[in-house]
Amino acid sequence: MSTYSMKDIEWAKINKDVLASLESPRALFWVVLAVCALLVLCGVAAEVYQYNEGLGVAPMDRPHFWQLYISNFVFWIGMSHSGTLLSAILLLTKADWRKPIYRFAEAMTLFSILTAAIFPVIHLGRVWNMYWVLPYPNERGIWPNFRSPLLWDAAAITTYATRSALFLSVGMSPALAICQDNARGWRKKLYTALSMGWMGRASEWMAFRKTYVLIACFLVPLAVSVHSIVASDFAMSIMPDWHITSFPPYFVAGALYSGCAAIITLFVMLRYLFKFEAYMTTEIMDKTAKLTFAIAMVWNFLNLGEYASIWYSNDMFEKEVLLQKFFGPYAPVVWGMLICATVAPFAMAFEKFRHNMWAMFWLSLVLQLGMWLERFQIVSPPLASNHEPWTWAVVWPGTVQLTLTAASFGWFTMLFLIFCKVFPSVSMYEVKEMVFHRRHASSRAEMEDIGKIKDEVVRSEEGLA
Amino acid sequence: MRRKKHLLFATFEDFDKARDAVTELKMLDLKEMVVDEIELYSPIEHPEVEEILGEFHQPIQRFTFFGALTGALCAFLLVAAAGQAMFTVQPQGGKPVIPIPPAIVITYEGTILFGVLCTLAAFFIYAGLPRRMKKYSHYDQRVSEDHIAIEVTMLPEHTDKVRKAFENCGALEIREVTQ
Repeated sequence: MSTYSMKDIEWAKINKDVLASLESPRALFWVVLAVCALLVLCGVAAEVYQYNEGLGVAPMDRPHFWQLYISNFVFWIGMSHSGTLLSAILLLTKADWRKPIYRFAEAMTLFSILTAAIFPVIHLGRVWNMYWVLPYPNERGIWPNFRSPLLWDAAAITTYATRSALFLSVGMSPALAICQDNARGWRKKLYTALSMGWMGRASEWMAFRKTYVLIACFLVPLAVSVHSIVASDFAMSIMPDWHITSFPPYFVAGALYSGCAAIITLFVMLRYLFKFEAYMTTEIMDKTAKLTFAIAMVWNFLNLGEYASIWYSNDMFEKEVLLQKFFGPYAPVVWGMLICATVAPFAMAFEKFRHNMWAMFWLSLVLQLGMWLERFQIVSPPLASNHEPWTWAVVWPGTVQLTLTAASFGWFTMLFLIFCKVFPSVSMYEVKEMVFHRRHASSRAEMEDIGKIKDEVVRSEEGLA
Repeated sequence: MRRKKHLLFATFEDFDKARDAVTELKMLDLKEMVVDEIELYSPIEHPEVEEILGEFHQPIQRFTFFGALTGALCAFLLVAAAGQAMFTVQPQGGKPVIPIPPAIVITYEGTILFGVLCTLAAFFIYAGLPRRMKKYSHYDQRVSEDHIAIEVTMLPEHTDKVRKAFENCGALEIREVTQ
């Protein structure tokens, strides 16, 4: 366990350490970036091929019109909830341990949404018609159908992406002002433009804090609504195993779960690549792991609740899909999900495990795999055993879909790493605040202790007298 | 012609010293009316600054409230107008012209979007951002690191009194500027 006590870090050192991360990451950074860029290139090639040949090469055919692209869409939207959790919920509950890690979680939110937004476009096949979701009438006076959950999705995701970008950029202004003071060349120009002339005036801080809290208050219901709407894409249909009342909370819990797991992955990655050992401490990892464990248990409860409600409803179609999930051709996916997302998180119940960074890194990857499989088993198995048995068919995703899936991970990681190289991924002013308050709290406690000792001495002297 | 602004910019090692300086300046101002404006610069937020500088009037939440209200109204009107327009060109038997449950979803998103945008607009207004840094050549970069600074605008004849107050409270550096 790191013995570095955060209250002992000097403010100037915080600036120095974080600014150094913009200059000299470890060599592995460039290797990871190159691999990600390669994956993105493969994805571009796959998309060009699919664009020219049609969605049949995916392969996407009856009854599997929704497949891996939609699973990926749901997965990446879910991933974006981590930023909400760390920057909004923990801000409103005044959990100060979030301060060194919430900035990258916010960035993660934005890049997850950007990654998620690609999939409906790819899934559409006719990518040039994407603008049909914009709310304006066509030449025949027909508007987009606002009754459709797909359009709600467009509205929710646009709102979420706008808000995330604004929240991130405004939240970074104090940090960018620091960067601007210490940068040269194109970086100085960039930071000067983005910091908007922030100087740390008292009036700026007051307005900043109020704005931050107000936006955080909006952010929580927004995030819940975004994933509830994504759940509505399924729940509003009459497909067995999709038409479930508990889908929205189940999706939200799943989103928080996968988001937390992703935070752990990136936590360990950034800690190593950018040498943030003094800021991303074992203490913070411990708390993040506990939070992830708690959310994992909530998700498990909702998952089991879903199985139970299907079983006891005794609806033949629903039951058939459930049985097919556990014992049919998709069984390895479902059992894989249960092992990765239900059994594996119990490792976090052990303190020794939580304090081992690399063990947590691998576990977080397992959890994310579990949550990705969860999205796949939500989308595909019900389509393979729907209300019309003559359409039943098992179709597995092909090379094109798998390549685009791998490319999405490359795209997300590439954007994220570039962000961390150009912008400070640790919020300097918040860490300073944390250090300041902890230092004051400990000196206050020391003063109280001295006071108590004095009182005891006076009392014992009085007793002797 | 615009009157030239005369100011002193003092840098302090820590917040306690800066607070003492502001308190002393306030006392001085009470007796002799020497200070036009005081501004405190710090690398982190100090909410207790309101106790000495007075409360900041920043009704950002009103912008949020009215922004959210406008957003809700606009989004609902959009869905309603689209519903009306659709009804004339594509009649749907038995279905309501303006469907309330889907309208709620779009209204909800509109509320949040406009609420956030108006909150940000209010932030820019009350924080005075964005601003050009050229006017602030006296700004000390150490403030973004670990120092606290106080900027006092006053008439040139009061410069010595303010400078003395700064020196008494342990200012590290005092810069005099006329803009």
